[in-house]
Amino acid sequence: MANSTDILEEYSDKEYEFGFVTDIEMEVAPKGLSEDTIHYISAKKEEPEWLKEWRLKAYHSFLKQPEPHWQNFELPKVDFQDISYYAAPKSKAKYNSLDEVDPELIATFEKLGIPLSEQKLLAGVAVDAVFDSVSVATTFKETLKEHGVIFCSISEAVKEHPELIQKYLGSVVPYSDNIYAALNAAAFSDGSFVYIPKGVRCPMELSTYFRINTQNTGQFERTLIIADEGSYVSYLEGCTAPKRDENQLHAAVVELIAMENAEIKYSTVQNWYPGDKDGNGGIYNFVTKRGVCRGAHAKISWTQVETGSAITWKYPSVILQGDYSSGEFYSVAVTKNKQVADTGTKMFHIGKGTKSRIISKGISAGEGQNSYRGLVHVGAKADNARNFTQCDSLLIGDRCGAHTFPYIEAKNKTATVEHEATTSKIGEDQIFYLNQRGIDTEKAVALIVNGYAREVLNQLPMEFAVEAQKLLSISLEGSVG
Amino acid sequence: MITTTSLYDQLLAVFQERDSEQQQDWLKALKKEAFNGFEASGFPTIKNEDWRFTNVAPFLKDPFKLQPANIPLHEHRNYGAIPGLDAHEIILKNGLLNEDVAIAGLKVTPFRTALGQPALQNYLGKTIPLKNNGFAALNTALFQTGVVIEVEKNAIIDKPVRLIHVYNAEEPFFVQPRVLIVANGGSRLEVVETLFVKGNEPVFINTVSEIHVAANARLDHYNLQVGPSNVRIVNFTQVDQSGDSLYNNHTYTLPGISLVRNNLHLELNGSNTESHLYGLYLTGGNQLVDNHSLVNHKMPHCMSNELYKGVLMDESRAVFNGKIFVQQDAQKTNAFQQNNNMLLSDRAVIDTKPQLEIFADDVKCSHGSTIGSFNPEALFYLKTRGIGEIAARNLLVNAFAFDVTSKAEIPAVRNYIDKLITQKMAEAYD
Repeated sequence: MANSTDILEEYSDKEYEFGFVTDIEMEVAPKGLSEDTIHYISAKKEEPEWLKEWRLKAYHSFLKQPEPHWQNFELPKVDFQDISYYAAPKSKAKYNSLDEVDPELIATFEKLGIPLSEQKLLAGVAVDAVFDSVSVATTFKETLKEHGVIFCSISEAVKEHPELIQKYLGSVVPYSDNIYAALNAAAFSDGSFVYIPKGVRCPMELSTYFRINTQNTGQFERTLIIADEGSYVSYLEGCTAPKRDENQLHAAVVELIAMENAEIKYSTVQNWYPGDKDGNGGIYNFVTKRGVCRGAHAKISWTQVETGSAITWKYPSVILQGDYSSGEFYSVAVTKNKQVADTGTKMFHIGKGTKSRIISKGISAGEGQNSYRGLVHVGAKADNARNFTQCDSLLIGDRCGAHTFPYIEAKNKTATVEHEATTSKIGEDQIFYLNQRGIDTEKAVALIVNGYAREVLNQLPMEFAVEAQKLLSISLEGSVG
Repeated sequence: MITTTSLYDQLLAVFQERDSEQQQDWLKALKKEAFNGFEASGFPTIKNEDWRFTNVAPFLKDPFKLQPANIPLHEHRNYGAIPGLDAHEIILKNGLLNEDVAIAGLKVTPFRTALGQPALQNYLGKTIPLKNNGFAALNTALFQTGVVIEVEKNAIIDKPVRLIHVYNAEEPFFVQPRVLIVANGGSRLEVVETLFVKGNEPVFINTVSEIHVAANARLDHYNLQVGPSNVRIVNFTQVDQSGDSLYNNHTYTLPGISLVRNNLHLELNGSNTESHLYGLYLTGGNQLVDNHSLVNHKMPHCMSNELYKGVLMDESRAVFNGKIFVQQDAQKTNAFQQNNNMLLSDRAVIDTKPQLEIFADDVKCSHGSTIGSFNPEALFYLKTRGIGEIAARNLLVNAFAFDVTSKAEIPAVRNYIDKLITQKMAEAYD
């Protein structure tokens, strides 16, 4: 393995592939957050009074909350007043066909490998592309309409389905949850809204691509998905961001609500700009994601592949309220250079016979720090609750770190909870075996890592799995320990 | 910070009084630093991450005295003997060693005498963290009594040493005992710590043990926490291991003592060390048993293994937090950690947090944690063989505990614990 360091260096020197800036005229709110900013955003978006009130309450809650200090990394000071809380492409965003869309915007997506027009034909994926803060185009709306599925931007939903928004917005992640959730609630610019009616199996994978543009614009997305009784939806979220030298804050909130017998599958591939090899720049990805299984036999499944961001800090959680409901969490997190990932999940077992399964695979390379932090809580009434947790860490290089902080709390004697974790480097014997079959070390590592992450990648929908695998192999090109 | 004002004022007064009497500069400085540490952090509250599930405030409310009235402890010599255990005995009465003990190969000195010896500087308070560690800092600042046990170089002590802590609980009493064990190079020692409490008033025992295991030395450390419910224990054990040393810790906690908090910190300062931590907690009543351990791998080629098992009954609560740190230089580390729990009651609560923090890559580390109850199939099988429900349950609990108890290398200790488990289980079903 004489050349391993060379490969490692080459890999760590690798420039961010998707780093470019689209030059579109933007309408940007003045920097800083105050009541005025909220009035400005609310007015811009022509929001009803109740929503503005809610934003203001969130803003006051934001002011009261301290920044958390329990995380396993040094929290960089974020100047909340140095961020502009609203940015929208000036060319107004209601297109009837793709031809009307700003060609430069289309080009940006194409560079990212998200050709809106092609995907329409090839992948059968409806894309609600969020360019910074305002939804630009929503495709496949017609097909979805036939099934009664509502898939639109939050601001549209506020106008067209206010009763649903008013009922569910903030019902899973209240603004008082944490400081970033409060910030998001106060200043969220847009996001996606999905409603699947009773008994409907959503005919296609729903997908949103987020993209941060415009320097110094934090993006505060909000996603709300409601699966009514007996319905099914698979939702894909992917992120890439242009190169920046200044850190950007991304504080999104995702809320999932699954009624009786409903199933929501939420997949994420996150590849925000991770900063350069010295740890300059990069996105702070502080996201609050939570789902609730309201009814019996409901199911929520989170799958995430995290390769980007300077700091990834999120714990997609499931509240297992309905009896016999189940929650799943599958995660692959890759950190390299000076990246930090502090991620994991929380499973709250409240109903009887609830099940949860957690598979977390961390890969640390270079000086990357990877933490799994999880909570499995079995309440006193959760008879026969069942949890299985496995979190494995793979270490590549002697300057990286892998950490595990699993909290397990049981208040019911019929609960069965299992947790296991291992940490190791890539087995030399495995590499040797592959070498002697004529597979070079670089490919061998890719193979082993892919095999290692397979259990999670298998959970991704087809189109995403390919992208995720590609990301993973790019991320770890030849980094042999 | 908890302001149990009267207690805090007493602590401050006692500290100032003792501080003015203090002769040696180094000790004075250490105690000053420790007291500052305590003043800064106070008694830990549940806002402190390490004390999240253990609220000590209700246990500190009693009108404790810091100086025990000199009531003679009854002269019965058999302070809760372990049947069949042939051992040297060192008796600490209210933390005080007041009779000479002569054991071949051992130097047993009361702290009062030992404090005059300059060699103590090399060991006392050297590695104990005094910041954010309120109880240990308080002990360091205030302790006066205790024992220093030094094993001579290459001495193999023929019999285990039973360290008997005897407390007089005829009035509420807050005590700060201190133990320092130095196992010099190539020596071998087995220590069995037991507790004997007389009287029914609340006793808060805030103990600190410092253990230094030199190269090629081996220390087997048994801690039997069996006592009445008027006792509360906060225990901080700091172990420093040099290269090529072996340290085994066996901690058994049984129903009785209302609060047990064990902090067991291992610093592995040399290569090729080996450490085993075995713990068993069988909890009942309103008991709260909290085991925190930390193993810090600093050098390559070390091995640590931790196995804690818990059985929870009644309204008891147990907390387990195991931390393993593998520093960047500690390549080729093998570190394992396991915590298994059985919940036998609907009102019992377990909080477990096995934690790994790894900064080196060529390591093998794993941890596991489980929570469950009786396996219904195993119970059914035993019943079909004509074994009654209660007997079958006892059998299963004994079998569950076996992984830990079988690791005790002193047969008398092993039998004693097994018997206690059976007895306490039987009491629970009465």
